Amino acid sequence: MNNIISTRKKVSKSKLNMWLWGWFMVAPTMIGLIFLNIIPIFQTIYLSLFKSGDFGRGNIFVGFDNYIRMFGDAQVWHAVANTLLYTLLVVPFSVVFSIIIAVLLNGKIKGKSFFRTIYFIPMMAAPAAVTMVWRWLYNPQFGLINYVLNRLGLDSVKWTTDPQVALIAISIIGIWSIVGYNMVLLLASLKEIPRDYYEASEIDGASKMQQFFVVTLPLLTPTLFFVSVTTIIQSMQVFDVIYMMIDVANPAYENTVSLVYLFYNNSFKYMDKGYGSSIVVLLLVIIMIITYIQLKAEKKWVNYM
Amino acid sequence: MKNKVLLLMLVFVLSLTALTACAGNKNTSPANNENKQTEAPKQTGKDSDTSNNKGDVTLRYAVWDSNQAKGLRVMADEFEAANPGIKINIEVIGWSDYWTMLEAGATGGSLPDVFWMHSNEIYRYASNGMLMNLNDQIGSSSKVDLSKFPQGIVQIYNFEDKQYGVPKDFDTIGLWYNKTLFDAAKLSYPDETWTWDDLYNAAKALTKDGVYGMLAPLHNQEGYYNFVYQNGGTIITDDKKSGYDDPKTIEALEYYVKFVRDGLSPEVYADSERAEALQNGVVAMGLFGSWNLAGFTANEFLAKNFDVAVLPKQAKQASIYNGLAHSIAHNTEHPEEAWKFVEYLGSKEGQDKQAQLGVAISAYEGAADLWVSSNTTFNVKAFVDMVKYGVIRPYSNTTIVWEDKAYEALKSAFGGKESVEAAAKKAAAAMNQSLEAE
Amino acid sequence: MGKVGKFAKVLAYTFLTVGACLMILPFLWMLLTSFKTVAESTSMNPFVFFPNTVKWINYLEVIEKNNFVAFYYNTFAMILFRVICSLLFSAMAAYAFARLQFPGRNFLFGIVLFQMMVPTQIFIIPQYLMVDALGMRNTIFALVFPGIVSAFGTFLLRQFFLNLPKELEEAAKLDGCNIGQTFVRIMLPLTRSGLIALGIFTSLFAFKDMMWPLIINTSTESATLSSALAKIQSAISVHYPELMAASVLAIWPMLLIFMVFQKQFVEGISTSGGKL
Repeated sequence: MNNIISTRKKVSKSKLNMWLWGWFMVAPTMIGLIFLNIIPIFQTIYLSLFKSGDFGRGNIFVGFDNYIRMFGDAQVWHAVANTLLYTLLVVPFSVVFSIIIAVLLNGKIKGKSFFRTIYFIPMMAAPAAVTMVWRWLYNPQFGLINYVLNRLGLDSVKWTTDPQVALIAISIIGIWSIVGYNMVLLLASLKEIPRDYYEASEIDGASKMQQFFVVTLPLLTPTLFFVSVTTIIQSMQVFDVIYMMIDVANPAYENTVSLVYLFYNNSFKYMDKGYGSSIVVLLLVIIMIITYIQLKAEKKWVNYM
Repeated sequence: MKNKVLLLMLVFVLSLTALTACAGNKNTSPANNENKQTEAPKQTGKDSDTSNNKGDVTLRYAVWDSNQAKGLRVMADEFEAANPGIKINIEVIGWSDYWTMLEAGATGGSLPDVFWMHSNEIYRYASNGMLMNLNDQIGSSSKVDLSKFPQGIVQIYNFEDKQYGVPKDFDTIGLWYNKTLFDAAKLSYPDETWTWDDLYNAAKALTKDGVYGMLAPLHNQEGYYNFVYQNGGTIITDDKKSGYDDPKTIEALEYYVKFVRDGLSPEVYADSERAEALQNGVVAMGLFGSWNLAGFTANEFLAKNFDVAVLPKQAKQASIYNGLAHSIAHNTEHPEEAWKFVEYLGSKEGQDKQAQLGVAISAYEGAADLWVSSNTTFNVKAFVDMVKYGVIRPYSNTTIVWEDKAYEALKSAFGGKESVEAAAKKAAAAMNQSLEAE
Repeated sequence: MGKVGKFAKVLAYTFLTVGACLMILPFLWMLLTSFKTVAESTSMNPFVFFPNTVKWINYLEVIEKNNFVAFYYNTFAMILFRVICSLLFSAMAAYAFARLQFPGRNFLFGIVLFQMMVPTQIFIIPQYLMVDALGMRNTIFALVFPGIVSAFGTFLLRQFFLNLPKELEEAAKLDGCNIGQTFVRIMLPLTRSGLIALGIFTSLFAFKDMMWPLIINTSTESATLSSALAKIQSAISVHYPELMAASVLAIWPMLLIFMVFQKQFVEGISTSGGKL
């Protein structure tokens, strides 16, 4: 009897020790996040129930009016569709490309660090430079892409004003700018795979291809999970490129406007912060649903050692 | 709020001690700790702008056009020399971030002391009491005389009979044309006698060899607004209704869109593509405002081939014009000093200086002529000539909202997917809806 | 077999080279434009790829007009503090989330994920009000402020910790290490690549963050490279060569940082945990 009590006490003591360590270690991050981010998020959700006054004063409570207006606003639904389509275009392509590049750069290739640096460059280029280059590439009259198309005997494409293609043009920029990010992450985790694993599989007589699918890919899954969660979230929040390339006056605006762009216009341009906030809440709900599904699926395909 | 930062710092330092102690690196940990502790206060100390001599007042002066910053600095230096004890700190932030900064400042009660105000935003700031009422100061000032400024601009910054800004400058829209192409086509340059027909015929004659005669983008201020008012139409009526369904307005829009539909102008929507088209010699003529002057002068191609003239006329002559003003924060800690500075900027002396330095077209009577001589590359006198018949850029309390709605409605007409009349009616409906919500 | 190997190698190089050409285009463009005249920079018809003469004057003008020393100082102070804070706090939190059991763990991790889902634009005004209330505008502290903690970093490092074998901790426990010691001595060194990756990303995000420094640090001397660049951009709106010269001046240190640190990947586990 005594014995049992004492062991139980012992267990709970080491448990408590672990609890304390856990709380202590997450404390700085959690306190920071709560003040810097979580409180503003709840303020935003709260604000979505108001017709916002100027400069944070004179907000009038309107209940769910902003949401009712949002559900009847065709532009919001365009933006939902555009945002999802953009994500669907960017995430699979960029992830596949970056896996290929990371694996190649992890192998026996000359000039590795040269290539790594080059693939990372798009992430560093200033937005002004990026937009300028792509505007030139996409220019309908004398852009490089149309020049090549014409040479091949194809017709010119109005890359940024044709409603049918503008979103694809934007997605290409999105893929181009995110490949380096994914590549760095995947490379980092490729480097963490112990060599012994490969040696063992070599002894078993596995080919390079088999090695990739049997050793590399399964061990990459934790990072792949991270990459897919974060690229989906990032893609769902697409704003900069569209904002810089597509004006409200652009005929392709309806077909490219994203949820964050709509939120930005309403909150910061039209100063309708209440309505802008309700758009953010819609975006949040969509992202949460997607992330929840991913977390549920995590157990099915992600292998932790 | 202070507690929070202290708490974070505390946690920061604590976690360091805890961790290094655990690791048992007793030798290095004290040094590490000291480093971190000295670094933490350092981040707070550096660059703080509180280190002024006692008695010295530093005014924050916020502007959005860095092209003007250099000249404004010269003026601020002069002001500082004449007013010992007052320092002017010029803060330059680009247009859209400027308004975000001001918004945050107004919400948090930390507006700059003196800042630029614009017709799009004056209502929000004035009606919410964010600006200082300058009636008394202007009334007792011997230097600022509002009757010396264009009344249209003075009125923009007057809300419920209170003056919330002293006019700074104005801008008008001019017709830029490619002299070289005009010479080659043996056409005479545009001047004040030109009518819409002259413009159209010239555009037609110039459209060849891959060059478009005219640039008619989907743009209001540097585009169709000018034609609407030349035709006697309007964008917004005195009783705050949309003018897009006015037959005169529709007629002007039809004339304007015709350039695109007849192939005399490229189909341009993006703001950035307008100047690009001009700079690449794709178009022989285009409408651009006086604020582009610095940029256009710096471009060798434009400086060599282009010049500027007044806009053509139809029922009458018209050019959209607009002007900025200097406002003072309602809660500035230095109301007297701030007014002194605004008074200087709005005085004949300050306005003349601004014009001479080529900073902007000073709004003060007669000062604009001084500005003309600051640029010899182009015939910039055209911009000043147009003030007599200038029409203030249409505005209301929520200008940006209905401007965007109008763009959304009109673009189908530009693309030829809808008649101009139908699109204009849609624009009117959307605009009226937005005006009613004001 | 040898032939196939050779073919694969050629394919790999071709793929990498073509990709690299596409990737480097904007940077090359930036560099070339920075040496052009204004007319050359905007001309598309005919298209000018190489400048006629190399115009160093663009650089001189930009350097003369702007206080780049201050921009470099501010940017690097910001990056330094953000990297220190985010590496330290994120690693601690990530380890706890990945390896420790404690009440509220899933809920708290949910908050971390939740933060990442929100577009950053909504934080700007609330955070501005906080910094303003502290009277800290126009300081390095203000620049560091939003990056003191990092949800992204916590999530990233959690993935790295999750992937470490459990036996390691058990071994450490048997050696008499407490949780903190296990974390610092055993686990942290094993996530080196993850820490380097996070360091690179933190620097990069801090470097690219434009809106926050623009709004919070409005005085000229307290600007960072990217906010200064935005100001320069609005100043010389059509003078693209000067703008690109400024971009090159802003970017080269980042490039250098990356080139130095990416070498660390090569080391990876082979040096730190090879005994596994």
